[in-house]
Amino acid sequence: MRRQATHSRGHRHRGAFATLLRVQARLTLREPYAVLLGLGLPLVLLWVFGFISGKVSGNVAHSGLSVIDLYIPTLMVIALIAISISLPNTLVRDREIGWLRRVSTTPVSPWRLLGVQMVIDLGLAVIAVVVLLVGGSTIFGAPLHLDVPIFVVSAALAVAEIFSLGLLLVALIPTQALASAVAGVVFFLLLFLSGLWVQPVQVVGPLREVMWYSPSGAAARALLYSVFNHVPPVTTLIALAGYTVVFAYASVRLFRWE
Amino acid sequence: MTAAQVTHPAQAHDDAVISVSHLVKQYRGRRVVDDVSFSIRRGEIFGVIGPNGAGKTTTVECISGLRVPDAGRVLVSGLSPQRERARVREFLGVQLQESALPPRLRVGEALELFASFYESPLDPRELLDSLAIGDLTRTPFKALSGGQKQRLSIALALVGNPRIAILDELTTGLDPEARRETWAVIESIKGQGVTVVLVTHYMDEAEVLCDRLALINQGRLVALDTPESIALAASVSRVTFAPTPTVSDATLLAVPGVETVSHKDRYVTVTGSGDLAGTLIATLSAAGVQLSELEARRGSLDDAFIKLTRTEPPPGIGRVPH
Repeated sequence: MRRQATHSRGHRHRGAFATLLRVQARLTLREPYAVLLGLGLPLVLLWVFGFISGKVSGNVAHSGLSVIDLYIPTLMVIALIAISISLPNTLVRDREIGWLRRVSTTPVSPWRLLGVQMVIDLGLAVIAVVVLLVGGSTIFGAPLHLDVPIFVVSAALAVAEIFSLGLLLVALIPTQALASAVAGVVFFLLLFLSGLWVQPVQVVGPLREVMWYSPSGAAARALLYSVFNHVPPVTTLIALAGYTVVFAYASVRLFRWE
Repeated sequence: MTAAQVTHPAQAHDDAVISVSHLVKQYRGRRVVDDVSFSIRRGEIFGVIGPNGAGKTTTVECISGLRVPDAGRVLVSGLSPQRERARVREFLGVQLQESALPPRLRVGEALELFASFYESPLDPRELLDSLAIGDLTRTPFKALSGGQKQRLSIALALVGNPRIAILDELTTGLDPEARRETWAVIESIKGQGVTVVLVTHYMDEAEVLCDRLALINQGRLVALDTPESIALAASVSRVTFAPTPTVSDATLLAVPGVETVSHKDRYVTVTGSGDLAGTLIATLSAAGVQLSELEARRGSLDDAFIKLTRTEPPPGIGRVPH
């Protein structure tokens, strides 16, 4: 009897996971902030910067890198930010309308719903990163030279950091109306710090350090080293890991289902 | 674990599936539930009634495990809904007051999702058909009418094949027809042997549906009985008549048992306790007043509710204290 019960419970939970993944993936596609921004925006920008890169000299601010070389890591970070920033938009609403609380009355924890959403977003992030790598090197000829283990570590840290920042926003923002406003501001701030308008190598003085050690700038810097076969500076990796721990800890502590 | 331990202790002893004893819950120092005790029997429809803010929802949320009591004890089939959350949730279906679904989630998907959460769920298709929303499986939540949303909400509470269903303010905001249909659904749930806990502030709903009621006012249990007994115990009668000649309020209030007097056109309505009509006829005819078009009504649950939840005597009319 007991074996059977255990078996049925395990089976149920696998079934719940598959169903939750399928339903949540459909919902994500039906409310396509994450897809449109996370995949569409970086692709459009890749095209723009690839085009600019073909027109201007190949050595930006004596860095030895061309425009497209510098922007591929920045665009990866932008994709992650866009995917992550859609979390507050949907999850804050789902909490505000009582959906997360409704799920919490069932035997399945709403953490599982959150986990499934993370899996879906991770999938989107992987697609975005791969498309940027392949598109950047084959179409626009960026001389990428990936050291796979270094790249995977940097990319994983970047994903963890930026996703936990998105969750922290979900934890902090009480209403959907506020979520779109705050998420919008944070989105553009992170975009700026990641180097979308001006790359850190092009600025002088303390702004360069601010960008290098900001949440999105550190992620872009780690990825920049990693796509050119270099180990990122330890300070950059420490900054990334530190942000991840702080954001993740704070969001878990502050998270509310209602 | 042996088989004996798996059975629920409460089943072995009596018929109470839910027992609440000396429940206390406070928010910011204010006691919203204050020493409430009752037990709910297997298979009955148990109503929790009371004015807005009386503590009804907080009480049932302690039963469903959404809130943790500050004092007292809640047992559901012998288990604590807080400590044995996962096990209780398996057989306790909950419909929350004012809970919506993601706007683009479709009816069929929502049911399929909730069915996957439980060990032995009902067939979502059959359930939707039985609630007459079987043809809406591809409709997104945001396109449903109020009545359809409530049906879906009931379906989500039942899809796990629960032994107990908690339904909170199920018919609030529905038009009369949709309310009647929802009542029929609740009757049919009972027919399937499910114990139903129904939170409502509609007295007609409580009177029609519930086997027993707990009346809560300002966090305290005021009455616990069948709807008929509560109505009878509060014993409010109402008599309407046209007096000739007219009589003053003071004369009427002097009649033993009379509590309130009100006027509409040439009709006078008197409420009070005891054999109101008999006393009125006797007293007033002795004073030479003739009563025509007399209509007497026994106390309804509605009257009892107002009497039991009244915090102070109504202004202006009423018995003058000596």
